[in-house]
Amino acid sequence: MPEEKEIRISQTEINFRRRLSKVPGAERLMLCYQCGTCTADCPVAMRVEEFRPRRIARLAVYGQKDRLLNGDTLWLCAGCYTCYERCPQKVRVSEIISALRKLAVEEGLLHSTYKALMKSIAETGYIYEIGEFENEMREEEGLPPAPKPEVGEIETIMKKTGFTKFIGGG
Amino acid sequence: MKYAFFVGCTTLARLEGYELSTRRVADRLGIELVDMPGSSCCGTTYLETLDHKTALAVAARNICIAEEMGLDIVTVCNGCTEVLTKANKALKDDGALRDEVNDLLGDIGKRFKGVVEVKHFTRVLKDDIGLDKIRSEVSRPFKGLRVGAHYGCHLLRPSDVMSYDDPEAPTMLDDLIDVTGARSVAYPNKLECCTGSVLGIREKVTWSVGLEKVETVKKYADIMVTVCPDCYMIYERCQLMAERSPDVPVVHYPQLLGLALGLGYDELGLEKNRIDASRILKYLEV
Repeated sequence: MPEEKEIRISQTEINFRRRLSKVPGAERLMLCYQCGTCTADCPVAMRVEEFRPRRIARLAVYGQKDRLLNGDTLWLCAGCYTCYERCPQKVRVSEIISALRKLAVEEGLLHSTYKALMKSIAETGYIYEIGEFENEMREEEGLPPAPKPEVGEIETIMKKTGFTKFIGGG
Repeated sequence: MKYAFFVGCTTLARLEGYELSTRRVADRLGIELVDMPGSSCCGTTYLETLDHKTALAVAARNICIAEEMGLDIVTVCNGCTEVLTKANKALKDDGALRDEVNDLLGDIGKRFKGVVEVKHFTRVLKDDIGLDKIRSEVSRPFKGLRVGAHYGCHLLRPSDVMSYDDPEAPTMLDDLIDVTGARSVAYPNKLECCTGSVLGIREKVTWSVGLEKVETVKKYADIMVTVCPDCYMIYERCQLMAERSPDVPVVHYPQLLGLALGLGYDELGLEKNRIDASRILKYLEV
């Protein structure tokens, strides 16, 4: 029998859990009874040993900020919503992960891959640049030019929500 | 029947075959697709996980363009479908949230009213055109072609938002395939995600997930059919990256339907598919 250890959660950890539970979608965190349906049905967990949705829920209940926000863990979720559909408690780890990502963004820990994508949307209106070359290709196929996004409008939105500063803009 | 056509980044930039075939099939069935001036990326399913208000406002800005056009939105990407549907529903249902987002949109002279719907093209085909009508338009049905359908995630899930079909046992796409004369087969893990979202984080995982599905489909079907540009690219690219010749053609659903409606191979952009799909022509009844 492994030695039983008492787990004590510090006030800092409780505060982090509280902050997390207030993010829309993460309200039901404390109802997780660790059945593991999320991990069992996760297409990523099946192939990546360090990605365990059940463990993410547990660490979240314990308010383990650093272990959750640092590294690749949060960014390995494919967002397929399989765990969302099957969670018997409607905790929905996908939503917990989504809430944790929002806190990671606030802490300046947005993953570089995501940051680059978001920068592209902010600067070009698309996730890839769709410029002259792409439009020439489209024209050859008889397709109309791609819509020209009003980039200034997207910039205005992102500045007002404060998102701009998290993706390395002014 | 007229819709605002939200093409989406990946299809616009990289998949002429998907866009061409969608436009040709729509035209053939009397669906008018109108481009959306000034529209941008939907925001992506990623942005939803990063910043709630920004995601809603970027999506709503696009929805507002369709509202100004007075048209419901048609999408061809599962991701765009989910992002726009989710924002549309959240803003229609929650007045306080709508006010907050409209405050953001006010600065760019837009206002979300909540007067349009968002539909994936397959939904328009199934619900607005109808299987009977499509069946009556099929002039050159397939015979003996076995198809491995891949629904993808965001068409179905989260099901309380998407309300598209049964998230565990959907039939919409299978029905749309069967109506062409081809047969949509059952195969193991049919609903599994392509994990395209992990591509930029752990590339090897995505390619192996892709290949696993392709290998499974190969045992049961002659080709694979997708309804999302990102899923399409994963199943095509994983085969091109593997050290063997690719042997499971991946076809966009409107390309399959288009052939059965009597449209030409090149006209549907099928020569653009990077895995030669010409073998499907021999299944067409002459």
